[in-house]
Amino acid sequence: MPQHLKHVLRRALRSLWENGYLNSVSSGVIAATTLLFGVYLSVQFNLNNMVDTWDRDIHVSAYFHPDVPEQRRFDVRDQIATRDEVTKVRYVSSDTANLWMQERMPAMETILQELGSDTLPSSLEISLTTTAAKPGSIDTFARTLSVTDFSDVDYGQEWIEKFQGFLSLLKLLGAIMGSLILIAALFLVMNTVHLVVYNRKDELEIQKLVGATDGYITAPFLVEGLIQGLMGSLFALLGLAAVHRLLVVRLKDTFELAITTELQFLPSSYIALLFIAGSVLGVGAAFLAVHRFLSKVN
Amino acid sequence: MIRAYHVTKRYGDVHALRDVTVKLGKGEFCYVTGPSGAGKTTMLKMLYGSVQPTEGKLLVGGVDVSRLSRRRLPYLRRNIGIVFQDFKLIDTRTVGENVGLALEVLGSSRDLIDRRVNAVLNIVGLPGRGSEYPPTLSGGEQQRVAVARAIVNDPSILLADEPTGNLDGAMAIEVMEILRAINLRGTTVMVATHDTGLMNRFPYRKLRFEAGRLVVS
Repeated sequence: MPQHLKHVLRRALRSLWENGYLNSVSSGVIAATTLLFGVYLSVQFNLNNMVDTWDRDIHVSAYFHPDVPEQRRFDVRDQIATRDEVTKVRYVSSDTANLWMQERMPAMETILQELGSDTLPSSLEISLTTTAAKPGSIDTFARTLSVTDFSDVDYGQEWIEKFQGFLSLLKLLGAIMGSLILIAALFLVMNTVHLVVYNRKDELEIQKLVGATDGYITAPFLVEGLIQGLMGSLFALLGLAAVHRLLVVRLKDTFELAITTELQFLPSSYIALLFIAGSVLGVGAAFLAVHRFLSKVN
Repeated sequence: MIRAYHVTKRYGDVHALRDVTVKLGKGEFCYVTGPSGAGKTTMLKMLYGSVQPTEGKLLVGGVDVSRLSRRRLPYLRRNIGIVFQDFKLIDTRTVGENVGLALEVLGSSRDLIDRRVNAVLNIVGLPGRGSEYPPTLSGGEQQRVAVARAIVNDPSILLADEPTGNLDGAMAIEVMEILRAINLRGTTVMVATHDTGLMNRFPYRKLRFEAGRLVVS
């Protein structure tokens, strides 16, 4: 290992040890910031997953006019089934729809029975290929369905688009909030590192007098910043894992929702991003703090 | 080794140095003297690049300090040893670490640092004291550690700003003996002092400043 690198590492570790309290504060601030960042990433990741799943589950419900004869309905079903963008077509008769409704809403059973089995229209449930299920394509597909056979076509895309709009807004808000938190954290960590620098002011001035370059003086602080950043990120990750575990259990217990089983922890690429964010925060703050000090010393 | 041509240093309207022209040869020993505020410290600070002349040209070891960039400054200082009145030692570092600092910034190996530190501690009369901490030493010993740090990388110029100012008579003489010994090894030594007793005991060339002007050279 080159001598310079050895000196840098030795001085960085020594400073970490000697200024333990201030360095813990820096790591703590980085941990809190990366934890917030991690929560944001986690929410975004799971919401994106949710939308992806819904996208995959999208199917078109086409409701027949009541006066379309049954044989015609089967013909239309078979005709649609041959199309390339269609993966599956299921015919739902009026009776089946009525039974389904009664099962889902037992309180309405009597009313539905009184209204008769042809209250709900018969329909086709058409599943599409992934490409055809995209927002633009599904619209085009729906328009190709004959208006003389169907009274209404529904595919829930509008709702998902609205949700995607909400997600985009969430991303924007997250980016703005994230930037503000990052700046605040950078400022906090920078000032903490500045205290460490100030603690070692005399030593650094002496180093300059004996011919140390700015790079020689700055390097150990950057290593310290990197270590603080990595430590902070590690704590944040542990915190995030704890929150995730707690949240999954609580949501399951409270709502018994199937959705909670799909709540996923951050994938490795997001975890790497978390560590990169923590490291950049630690190193960036250290660089700015030392640079500010050195610019005042001759 | 040191050449100043019409050097002036102003802080706003205040003249710290006025039109100073002086030459100092290799291996020479000289005092920079004069009353407080005469410009002694400013002269030394200019020589190690802590302040730059407002006017004139200043050459140190062939390097034009008046035009020296911030990036090149460390390389000038590696050829200059500096001793201060208040020693400027790091209390939390051992004597050996304090002395070895000047070699550490050069990226020297631990072996070389240890060898050089032991050698210079012998020169300043502190053999085997490398593991002690500065606060446990007397003022004279601390100043000798500072001198050891200044000469550990064998600089061609040694600048000492009031090196005996905080020391009593006997300790001051000890430190001056060491500076003289270093000078005898070929190092150019410049000592800022207003201690006439010491200058009489160790008679060398005097550069006398008054109100920023060099009146005796």
